[in-house]
Order: sequence, then C-alpha cells, then structure tokens
Amino acid sequence: MFSLYKKEIQSFFYSPFAYVLSALFMLIFGFAFVNRIASMQSSVFQFSFPDMFYNNFFYFIFIIPLLTMRSFADERRGGTEVQLLTSPLTVTQIVLAKFLAIVTVFLFMIALSLFYPIYISFHGAVIWSSLICGYISFFLWGLVCIALGMLFSSMQSSAIIAAIIGEIVMEGFLFLDQFAATKMVQSYPHLNSVVTWFSMQRRFVFFAQGMFRLEDLVFFLSLTALVLFWNILYIEKRRWSHR
Amino acid sequence: MVEVKNLTKQYGHVTAVSDLSFEIRDNEILGFLGPNGAGKSTTMNIIAGYLPTTSGTVTVSGHDIKEDARAAKRCIGYLPEIPPLYPDMRVEEYLRYCAGIKGIRRGDRKKEVEKAMVRLELTDMRRRLISNLSKGYKQRVGLAQAIIGDPELLILDEPTVGLDPTQVAELRKFILELGKDHSVILSSHILGEISAVCNRVVIINKGELCAIDTIENLERKASGSPLLILTIEGDQDAATAVLKKISGVTEIEDVMDMDDNIYVFRLRLENEKVRQEIMSEMVKNNINITEMSMEKPDLEQVFLELTGKK
Repeated sequence: MFSLYKKEIQSFFYSPFAYVLSALFMLIFGFAFVNRIASMQSSVFQFSFPDMFYNNFFYFIFIIPLLTMRSFADERRGGTEVQLLTSPLTVTQIVLAKFLAIVTVFLFMIALSLFYPIYISFHGAVIWSSLICGYISFFLWGLVCIALGMLFSSMQSSAIIAAIIGEIVMEGFLFLDQFAATKMVQSYPHLNSVVTWFSMQRRFVFFAQGMFRLEDLVFFLSLTALVLFWNILYIEKRRWSHR
Repeated sequence: MVEVKNLTKQYGHVTAVSDLSFEIRDNEILGFLGPNGAGKSTTMNIIAGYLPTTSGTVTVSGHDIKEDARAAKRCIGYLPEIPPLYPDMRVEEYLRYCAGIKGIRRGDRKKEVEKAMVRLELTDMRRRLISNLSKGYKQRVGLAQAIIGDPELLILDEPTVGLDPTQVAELRKFILELGKDHSVILSSHILGEISAVCNRVVIINKGELCAIDTIENLERKASGSPLLILTIEGDQDAATAVLKKISGVTEIEDVMDMDDNIYVFRLRLENEKVRQEIMSEMVKNNINITEMSMEKPDLEQVFLELTGKK
C-alpha cells in the first residue's frame, strides 16, 4: 500500500503538477491577502485569516478537483487499473493510498500558505488560536472535497470531465450554503434544518471564531469516510457490470 | 495449477463466456486461441481476478479467486492486452513500484527488480522514461512487471501484437524459457505463434469451448487421409494412368501444369506408406519425380474447421 502511496506522491511532485497547483493556490491566497492589506486605513488594522479562507472558498474550490481528477480516471484510461485490481491490494487499500497521497499534497499546499501569517507575525500580532482553527477547518473541508473529487474521478475515464463534475458539485455545496440563508428556505423549518446541516460554511464560521466543536469534526470526518466508502463500493460494483 | 470450472460470464444479457471448463497443468504453456471477440480477454481477466464471474469457479494453485483473492493473486503475473505502464515513470522506478504493490518484501524488491531487468535485457534502459521507449521495449517492461516476484502462473494476453518479426521471435524464445518453470497461459489469434510455443491449446469461439487438446492431436483429428504433393517431369497422361493403378491413391484432387512436362499432382492417400509404391511405380514407368512432400494440415485448418462449424 505504501508503494502505491509513494507512486502517487511521485506522480505529483515529479511533474510540474503539484507545483503549478501550489503556485495557483498561493497566488489566490496572495491576492486576497494584498487586497486586505490595501484596504488598511489606520495604523491599527484587524483582519482574520479564517475570514480569508471563508471569502475565497469559491476560488479554492477550483483547485481540489484538479488535484483529484487524475486519481482514477487516468488509471482507467492508461490500462493500469487492471494491474491495480489484479494485484494483491484490496480496493480499500487502493482508495486509501490514493486518498492519503492527495491529502499529503493538499497539506503541502496549505503549509505553503502559512508563509503569510508567519510573515504577519513579524510585523504585527496574529491570533494563533483562530488561525489554527481556521486551518483545521479548511483542512477538514478539503478532506471532504478530495474524497468527492476522487469519487467523480473513478466514475469517469476522462480526467477533464471528472474535474468539471467535481467543480459543479462543489459549487453546488456553496450554493446550498447560500440557499440555506434565503427567506424561502427559512420559512420551511424542516427543510431549513436539513439544508443547514449539510452546509459546510456554517460550520466553518465556528472554527473561524476559534471554536473547535466535536460535532463539526465528526461531521467532516464522517462525510469523508462515507464518500470514500462509496468510492470503494463504486469500484467493486463497476467490476461486476464491466463494459 | 489452475482449474476453471463451468465458467460463465454475462454482461447484462450478453453472454461473453459460457460454461467454460479447462485446467492448466504445472509448467505448461497453454495456448488460448479464438477469433476476435471470442471471449479470450474476458476469460483471462477473470482468471487474473480483474473481473468477477457470473457463475463457475476459478482456482489458482488451490486458492479460489473469489474467496481467497489475495492468496490467488499473489501467484499470478498478468500482462493485459495493453501493458499497464505509467508513461511518466522510469523503467526501474516503475518495476520497483510493481514489486511493491505485488507485496514483495521490502528487502527483496531490489533483487527481484534486478532479476527481471536482466532477464528481459532492460538493464540499459533502467533510467529511461517509459514514454520514450519503443513499442518493443514497452512490451518487455510489461512482461517484466508480470514476472516480478516469480509468480507460478503467467497470463499473457496477446503479447506479440504490434511487434516486429525479430521481436516476436525473441519473445517466443523467452516464453519457451519461462514455460520450463512456470505455468503460462498465452492468448493469441495468430496460430503460428501458438503452435510454436504451446504444449496444449484451448480453442474457444463465441464464448464456448471448441476444443482442448495437444497440437499434434488436433492436427491428426483434422487431417483425415494424408495429402501428397507430387511433382513429376514427364507425360501427364502416363503419370495419371500409373497413379490410377495404385490402389493406395484414393483420389487425384488436382493437377497443375507448371512448365514444359512438369506437373504437380495433389493426391489423397490411404496412408503415408503408399509413397514408396508411388515412387517405385513411377521409376518403372520412366517418369521422373522431382519433388514429393506430404502436406500437413496445420493448426490453421483445425482452427477454421472448429470455429467455422459453430
């Protein structure tokens, strides 16, 4: 299993892929950062990093399907899927190895963005509790998106289409969040409770305030596990209805 | 080594393989023959554990491919029709990875990879990117990943497709060598390839088993009465008269006029011994025999007969 993990990591870092995406991520983060700084009016200026995550979800969401799009689609297209499935590895091991590899690249990306708060800490004050919570929540949210992106990748043999479907579904989640805040949904309490339960950004706000709720942790982790499990079932199922 | 029992595979309503039973013995090269779309790849995918069966069982070295998949898959090296390669990896790096996912112990991986590379003469290519390799080398790397860890069973799905004649010859030699201490299943729709390397042949058509036998037996079955090609120099009518007198000659199928006084006869004989009689009779009648050969029915005829009937 470790071999597969290693191969996946290598496929990101031996190609420009991981670097280009990390650069894109840093660029978006940097733009948002500069915008905030530029709106400074007095010598005392407050802004929060979690807020930056929150406000730029829309952009960050574009990056994750790009990370996950190749995971299974390329194996299928290149005929290497056969090798994986005829190896002694179980489907669960395959999915987990690939998931962990992408999570590692994702961690690498968010670790790079730590550059900004560290830079700030030299010139001002950083509220570390809120910052760390912000990063944790962004990471947890990323896990769900990675699991989802991988699922779409295993449903497609074209990486590009897998990425596009990923984008659409993740946009859908964002939309759901905004939808939950509309008057119409709020006028139906039952619908409202369901929709807001699924809303990720709402949970994000708690983290942003430096609150680490067990409920949210369980929400993100169980959702990730559920999607990964779905992926395992999907791959098994496809072997039965092959062609 | 491998036992396939009543194997059936359906894709929806389409039956790709139906009620196939055969076995592969230890250290045997089994040819798997059939026209395109006969269900060869499907069967091989099932034996390798890639596709599940609809019904029937496959046991590899005593392990059921469904119930005991891990143990069964450890005994198998599989080269699918399209070699499973990652174009952006280097040869050695790729083979290391293959050794890893095949569950070879970390300490043994380097040794196993080296062994496979030496066996397939890939040592000079170890640092090359797979995408830069020629088709022949890619096929070799594909074979190398199959033999890594010395699995008892090798499944090779049309390994010679797209190779030039020298490469095909090299590969054949290699497969023959492998057959000494491995069981090999080799599929192909090219008959010459099968008859050159295989001990036994399974012929399938439209998912059904047509024949399973040694090549010699199959040839014998198809041959019927032996066919003799006889080239003579002399008078056609005289020769025909002589031949008609010999009781062992059951039929003169065809006479071709090749050149002045040179004729080629196609004769059906009762048995091969009639040749001596023909020889002596011709000499007695002053007709020169310039060439005489038995036409052996080859696998091709067997194949056409078997697949044509169904």
